[in-house]
Parts: sequence; C-alpha cells; structure tokens
Amino acid sequence: MAMENLAFLIPLLPALAFVLTFFLGKKLPSGGAIIPIIAIAISCVISLSITAGLLANPGHVVTQSVHWFAILNLGILIDPLAAVMLSMVSFVSLLIHIYAVGYMSHDPAKPRYFAETALFTAAMLGLILSDNILQLFVCWELVGLSSYLLIGFWFHKPGAASAAKKAFLTTRIGDVMFLAGIVLLFADIFAILEGKLPEGVYLLQFEEIFKFIPELVAINSTILGMEVSHLTIVTLLFFGGAVGKSGQFPLHVWLPDAMEGPTTVSALIHAATMVTAGVYLVARTFPMFLAAPGTLMVVAMLGAFTALFAATMGIVMNDLKRVLAFSTISQLGYMVLGLGLGAVIGAEAVGVSMFHLINHAFFKALLFLCAGSVIHAVGTHDMRQLGGVGKVMPITFATMTAAALALAGFGIPGTSIGFSGFLSKDPIIEYAYVFATETGNWMPYLFAITAAFLTSLYIFRLIFMTFTGKPRTDYGGHESPSSMTIPLAILGVLAVIFGALTRGTFMKFIESNFEHLDMNALAELGGYHLGPHGHEPLLILWMPLIVAVAGLVIAYLIYNKRVIDMSRIVSSENPVYKLLYNRYYQHQIFVEIFSVKIIYEGLALASFYSDKMLDWLVNGTSTFLIEAGDSLRKFQTGVIQDYAAAVVAGVGLLVILVKLIMEVF
Amino acid sequence: MIPLNWYLALSAIVFSIGLYGLMTHKNGIRMLMCVELMLNSANINLVAFSSYNDDMTGQVFALFSIALAAAEAAIGFAILMSIYRMRDMIDVDKLNILRW
Repeated sequence: MAMENLAFLIPLLPALAFVLTFFLGKKLPSGGAIIPIIAIAISCVISLSITAGLLANPGHVVTQSVHWFAILNLGILIDPLAAVMLSMVSFVSLLIHIYAVGYMSHDPAKPRYFAETALFTAAMLGLILSDNILQLFVCWELVGLSSYLLIGFWFHKPGAASAAKKAFLTTRIGDVMFLAGIVLLFADIFAILEGKLPEGVYLLQFEEIFKFIPELVAINSTILGMEVSHLTIVTLLFFGGAVGKSGQFPLHVWLPDAMEGPTTVSALIHAATMVTAGVYLVARTFPMFLAAPGTLMVVAMLGAFTALFAATMGIVMNDLKRVLAFSTISQLGYMVLGLGLGAVIGAEAVGVSMFHLINHAFFKALLFLCAGSVIHAVGTHDMRQLGGVGKVMPITFATMTAAALALAGFGIPGTSIGFSGFLSKDPIIEYAYVFATETGNWMPYLFAITAAFLTSLYIFRLIFMTFTGKPRTDYGGHESPSSMTIPLAILGVLAVIFGALTRGTFMKFIESNFEHLDMNALAELGGYHLGPHGHEPLLILWMPLIVAVAGLVIAYLIYNKRVIDMSRIVSSENPVYKLLYNRYYQHQIFVEIFSVKIIYEGLALASFYSDKMLDWLVNGTSTFLIEAGDSLRKFQTGVIQDYAAAVVAGVGLLVILVKLIMEVF
Repeated sequence: MIPLNWYLALSAIVFSIGLYGLMTHKNGIRMLMCVELMLNSANINLVAFSSYNDDMTGQVFALFSIALAAAEAAIGFAILMSIYRMRDMIDVDKLNILRW
C-alpha cells in the first residue's frame, strides 16, 4: 500500500504550507489560502486511506522511524487510535480552512492567519502520529505556541493580547508537569536498566515504555506520608499536562478567554486541535493509567466535576461564543470522565471517550462555525441584542439546531438511532452508573447526569435567544456566502449521522488498539480486576434522554414563551447569578490572591536583594564609566588647530624617537 | 641642473607656510587652501625624487594625489558652502554644537 509510505507527509505538508503561505501569501489571491487548503486536503486523503486500510486489517499498524540522536528517534505510529484522530483533525481543519476563506475575507492580515492555522494543524497532526513521548511533547509545545499566536491574532486589541498570554501561561503549568513526568519516567527507566542501554531500542517509544509498567509499579516513593508508586506519579503528571491543554478544572480559565481570536480559530481550538490533545495524551498512554487506579480515580472525579462546573457557567453567559466555550470545557469533562472509568470497563473507556471526542469535534466545530456565520452577518455576539436570526439565516439556523440536538444528546436509548452526541455521551453516563454500582462512588454519575440536563438547557437557551422570537435590535444581516454554508452543511450531516453510522465499528476499532497488551494483567498490577458488568436498569438507560428533553422544554418555556420573567432572576442582587456570571470568581482568585498576594510578596525579598546589592553593582559600574568619560572628553576641544598641533607634535616626537633609536643601534 | 636639495627646501618652505596658515586661521576656506599647500609640497617631493632617480612611479603617484586633492577640495568646499548658507559665516571654531 503506497499510502502508508506517505504517512510522514501528513504533518509535513501543512508545515510546508505554513512556510510558503507566510512568505508568498501576499502575492496570491485571498491571502494564499489555497496553499494550506491543498496541503491539508492531501493530508486528509492520506489519513483517510490509511484509516480505511486499518479498518480492513486492524493489526496492520503503520510505523516509520528514523534515528535522531543517542537513544531517541523521530517516528510515526499510526494505529487505530491515531488513525481516527488524524482523519478527524485533518478533515475538520480542512473544512475550517475553506470556511475561513469567506469568514476572513475582510481581514488585511490573511497570509499570517492562514500560515498560522496551517502550523497549528501541522503541530497537531505531528502530535497525533508521534511514536515516542518526546516527539509528542515537542509537537505539544508547538500546538501551544500556535494557539498563542492565533488567540492573539488581533494583537492590537488589548483583550486579545492578554487572552493569548493567559492561554499560554495557564497551559504552561500543565506543560511543565508533563515535562516533569517525562523526565521522571526516563530517570526511572534508566534506573531499572541500571544504566545498561539495550542496542537498537528507542526507550521513549510508547511500546517500549509500556514494557516497563510492572517495574514502574514496584518503585515507590513516600509523598506526604503516603506510599505512592512512581507509575502513579508519572501518570498524574501526564494528566496534569492534559488538564492544562484540555481545559479541565482548575486550569480551564484560558479557554473562555480564547474567544478573543477569530471565530474560526475558536472552532479549530475547540474541535480539531489543541483541547483534544490532552484527552489524546491520556488515551495514548492509557495502559499506564490502567495500572495506576489512583490516577484513574482522580481522572474520573476531575472530569465529572469539570463537566458540571462548566455547564453551570454556560447557562448564564450572554456571549454566543462564550456559551460554546463553556460547553467545550463541559464536554471535555465527559471525555476525561470516560477515560477515568477505565478502572471499571478497561479499554472500552478509550473507545467511548474517543468516540465522544470525534463526535464532539464535528458538532462543536459546527456550532462554532454557525456562531461565526451569525457574527459575520450581524456583527455582534451578544445574544441579548439578537433574536429572530433564524428568519434571515435559514441554513445557519438549521445546521445549528442539528448541532444543538447532537450536543444535548437526543436519541432513542438502547438503539443506534440518535444524534451523534447522544450515541457517545450516553455510554459515558451509563458507564458512570456501572462505576457507581461497582465502586460505590456515585459522584461521577450524579455530576454527569446533572451536567447533561444543564447542557440541554444552555444550548437551547442559546438557540431560542438567538434564532427565534423578534429581533431585539436592528442588526440587518443576510445568509453567509456559500464557502461558509457548504462546510456548515457537511458538518451538519456528520453531526446527525456520524454516530449512528459508526457506533459499533468505531468502538471495536479503537479497542483493537490495545489488543496486543493484556489489559487484565495491567489491572491486576494496579491491584483490581476487570470483570464483566451487567446491564443498566431501564430508568438509567432513559435518564439522559429525560433530562435532555427537560432541559429543552424549560429553555423553550423561559426563553421562547417567557412564562417566567428572567429579568427578575437575572440581576446583580441574586448571589447565585453573580457567582456564576463571574465564573466563581476564579479569575479574581488567581490574579488577586495567587499573583498579587503570594507571588508579589514572595518577590519582595528578591527585590530587596536586587535593589540593594545588584543595583549597586550595576549602577556603580555605569557611574564610574560616565565620570571617566566626563573627564576624558575634555581632550576633544573641537578646535581644529589643536588637532593639527597635536598631529604635528606627534610627527615631531616620532622623528626624534626614530633618530634616537638609529643612534643607539 | 638644479640640485635636489633646492627642491626639498622649496617643499619644506611650502609645507611650513601651509602648516602656519592652518594653525593660525579660522576661516574654513583659508584652512582648506593651506591643506592644499601642504599636500602639494608633498607632491613636489615626489616629482623631485622621481626625476632624480629616473623612475616614473613618483610622477604617476603625484598625479593620483592631485586627483585626490581635487575631489577632497570639491567636497570640502561643498560642505563649507552649506555651512555658509546656514550660518552666514565659515569660522570653523564657531561650529561647536556637538562639543561638550
């Protein structure tokens, strides 16, 4: 199969497009958008054909590897997990690039935009097909860099500049943890091998790392009086990286602010690239997590908490894009929760989580592009000023409704009939129930089901406030050009049918990823057993749909029929509203307590040292030089005669000197 | 034939006149003319030695130096012209705004 040999082109073509667009974009029509579009289209074709090959023959994993230095390599590993991610990322990114041709048509800095989005896509694709953890980390950082550049794309706006900085710094906390995890892992493997490195083996390749899991479990350290295995520490640190990138509590704060970039960038960040990287990292190293049940518990709890936490904030936001941002955080919470349930369901956890990731990518990209279409047409993203947009923008309205139904999770339980979001979110909630019955910990299930209700409420609040009723202001508006509506239609179809089409095959496909590893043995290393789990009661099966419908009905009654006057509830006096609207004051806590109180005060001592001692040294040097120069410059009289006299005197001296020397010798 | 020493003496006299003028005058044009005198005294030396040693190199060198002097004078006078337009005078010791 020739396509497999071209696998290395998948990230390289968009990277090349970045360089070309950056330097030549100005000379080409529409800012050189055609270059990244063609590059990503080719990447997409290669990815899809490799995926098709893997579907026919799941054991046939694509690997390529070249020596880098010492015991490190640059390599490609395309197994089912990577293949579906590659296909999704390149496909969604392609649609977003096509859409951006219309969306960014009025922006003068188009070449920079398309170059940076191409780099973003290239970094993400490189991250996905890395076969070793170090290469993954390098791409991980590149993703962070490009997100910084793109969030701050309109850097002349102070809001965008500070949002970019916030995103970079917040994810950095996670990145440092991830790096620490890699360093610790490497040091441990080195210790296990007692410094004797085997020939021809690249130790940081995932397959090699997995072989060391039993030894890693055996190494223990005492932290805060608790005996913790190094595998738990390493996986926790990896998960810390995922928390930063995938916007989990408490490092989600950058994600809502990332709205300052162009809407297409938001769609890229939220759907295809960036935020899925964290989930993918956990899925990629899942065998390690499976042998560390302590970490899995943290993963499950944090995911469930984030799902609920973000959903509560989503219901009070008035900004179209901000609602969607909180929705993303919440849905990422579901994916992380799905992974955390691995302690009960084993490799199936990766299947459901990745299934939700892919479905979410489609409907979330769609939601953002629809929002972008509305913003492009009416020029505002404040929902309070909109209303009745559905009449002027029928295509956008229809596709956005489809995406909302997918997000809220509408479908018939127990069958394969339903919107894509239903078919992937439902299993996560059901498995959370299984988790509750097996471990007695009901928190993830309760949080997940409450979040499902709130999800339905906030997304239909958005739909009703924006698209139905009477216009609240005179905003004009028109349907968007076809370069924008065609991607919407494609994504709309996928959001509706993708889940139903692939449900059975997808899960099996992803699970085949770990077939060569003995999951039960890994679980036993972690000290527990993976058993078969029974079926859920009928009520549990129907519960997600019931809460979704409840959310829809309540949103309809409040925001369309207006049976309750929201203006009485929504006021600055209502403490709950204030708390939610100010996002639990988390920004204030971070800035005023952590930054101002702790870090600044801590710096006081350092500043004393620098003021009194370093400054003396630095200022002393400069004062000395200034004074020396002050006295020496008197020699420069500025009178030409003086200079001429000095020259003549010099020549005279030289003659006398030469004469003297001649006489001596 | 005039002895070589006479030429050298002439050259020394011309050089001294030039040096004296350069040291005592403040007028830019006069100073420039004095510099030309000093340069030409060197040319006299070159030509004299060339003639007495039957070697044309010295004369060729003198030609180069004359061409150079012409270029230098052109630039020098151009600068003085523009100074005159700005300041209505060409006393170089009054051009001291860059001095400490």
